Amino acid sequence: MATANQIPADTSVADHVTADLVVFVPAMPVEQFKGVLTSLEAAFSAESTIVATQNELPADAKTSLRIILTPQANPLWMLKAGDFIAAAQSGLDHEARTILILGPGADSLSSLALRSMADAVSTASVDLVVPHYSLPPHAGLINSAILYPLTRAVFASRVRFPLSLDLGLSARMAERLSAAARRIPASNQGETLLWPVNEAVAAGFTMDEVDAGSRAMPQPSDPDTNSILAMITGSLFADIESKAALWQRPRRTPPIRRAAPEAAQSDGSPDVARMVAAFRLANDNLQEIWSLVLSPNSLLMLKRCSVLEPADFRMPDNLWARIVFDFLIAYRLRTINRGHLLGALIPLYLAWVAGHINVIASGTPAERHIEAVAAAFEADKPYLVARWRWPDRFNS
Amino acid sequence: MQNLLDNLLFQARQNPLPIPTYAQDVTIWHHMSDALHQSLYRVLTLLIAVLPGILAFFVALLIFAVAGVVISWILRRCLTWAKFDLRVARKGGADWAPSSSPTGIVARVAFWACVLLGLLIGVSAFDASYATGTALPISLLPYLTHAVGAALLLIAGILIARFLARSVLISAVNAQLQYARFLSLGVKWLVLVLTAAMVLDHLEVGGNIVELAFGILFGGIVLTLSLAVGLGSRDLVSRSLESHVEHAAERTHIPEETNSSASSIRHF
Repeated sequence: MATANQIPADTSVADHVTADLVVFVPAMPVEQFKGVLTSLEAAFSAESTIVATQNELPADAKTSLRIILTPQANPLWMLKAGDFIAAAQSGLDHEARTILILGPGADSLSSLALRSMADAVSTASVDLVVPHYSLPPHAGLINSAILYPLTRAVFASRVRFPLSLDLGLSARMAERLSAAARRIPASNQGETLLWPVNEAVAAGFTMDEVDAGSRAMPQPSDPDTNSILAMITGSLFADIESKAALWQRPRRTPPIRRAAPEAAQSDGSPDVARMVAAFRLANDNLQEIWSLVLSPNSLLMLKRCSVLEPADFRMPDNLWARIVFDFLIAYRLRTINRGHLLGALIPLYLAWVAGHINVIASGTPAERHIEAVAAAFEADKPYLVARWRWPDRFNS
Repeated sequence: MQNLLDNLLFQARQNPLPIPTYAQDVTIWHHMSDALHQSLYRVLTLLIAVLPGILAFFVALLIFAVAGVVISWILRRCLTWAKFDLRVARKGGADWAPSSSPTGIVARVAFWACVLLGLLIGVSAFDASYATGTALPISLLPYLTHAVGAALLLIAGILIARFLARSVLISAVNAQLQYARFLSLGVKWLVLVLTAAMVLDHLEVGGNIVELAFGILFGGIVLTLSLAVGLGSRDLVSRSLESHVEHAAERTHIPEETNSSASSIRHF
């Protein structure tokens, strides 16, 4: 809780007052927190806003915003289940109709973006507002390869960043996410991910996206990309499995409501040859494991891809969709150990990344290719549903 | 005269006349026949003592297996009628595969529990008939239990070897090590050799020879792996390590300026 020694005299501490907007800021570095406070002051009035944060207010920080300290938690580079519980509780305590959650690196968001998110909830009565970031073409590749296409196909949602770091929530959406987080054992709440878009679809709540411009994406302190990729993908697979009764019903994807913002340009081209070499090594060594998961047709197409030169390397969109669906089915059926399964997916993901980079290098806009991949996922959803219901059949 | 007769009698007693040969042959054959008959009698006695126990073992196993099938069927019908799968899915939030539904799992557990119970009862019946039979120098039952333990040990060792081999293979491939399959095979055979040595030791077969052979073989495999990785493929290792360091350097961090261009990849 707040103490008089740390907070300047001109900043009031509100314990039991109401506000229209509660902004929840999880633990982050001090400089980032100062930047967030600056952006919030520019976007909102101090009278109607409360900032609930796990960060101690720096002694040299001067702000007119009302600040409340929430229980400390271990900082993570992305939002975790415990953050949603704390945010919902803060919103409930202060009877706020709008709750903003700002993740690590939120100081790079503009005041306009923050304002747009809050207005969408308060004015347009949207339950879940997700920002649409403008990232460089070679950034957020896991989201482009797996999270967005899979969420769009399975849950019929066009939200470009389903695992967003910043969210705008209505009171009932915050309560829904808090309830989902409470079902997770307390010991795992600091590491487990929640999928707000999937929860909103399951609850039948309204969703919308707002343009947020560019944003600095925090990177994990643990440099083991493979384990983090496996964690994120495994979490999404588990969430899809838990909501199987919902997404198997026919759903129509909502139409595109706004043009995608222009992505920042990037210079140079990453080392595709290295990723293709990794894929070829996996193709030579992991056939025994892939054959337990993938269809013979997919294995044959992968073999054909393995002989392509790095400069010409492409993974067909329908092949990638089929691979992800087969791995999702294998995850559900526990065909092999789940850790092994997700580890075997990594070289295939790198192969897709190599193909994606080559597509961008050939002049195709990155967003156009990603939309084509997502469309391939949508077109192949009947295959996923059929295999989910009749797992013993192997329809290639 | 008397003295002569006494002398003859004394000599006769001191030097008895040899038995005729035809009388010796009859006795040898008689003894051999007796030995064979006695041996046959002992074996038949053993069989008579043990056979009821063996039959009791199989009958108990069969009866309980049939009971297991019946109980499993009844459980499956009852749980399906009670919509057990649906209740569990509502509570647990997971969608079950048809082959591993809660009802199927409960039914299978019930069946194999009955089979296990039948096995225990059968072994107990065999032990009882064996103990009340004849006193035999050979102890079969302890060896039988050791054999069961050894079989379980072998199964566990094979499963662990396969799991570890697959883990090492995937990790090594993702670390882009060219000798990933070699490492995986090495780990698998290390675990299998260890398992075989434990099984033979459990069965008390071979004694010190097995221990010595295992030590030599295990040490040889480890030494071979070390030499292959350390010396024979040092160029590969150094290239792998260099590429790993380069890859770590390429890993992205939060840029100081949000519009900075980067040729590196950001997966997140």
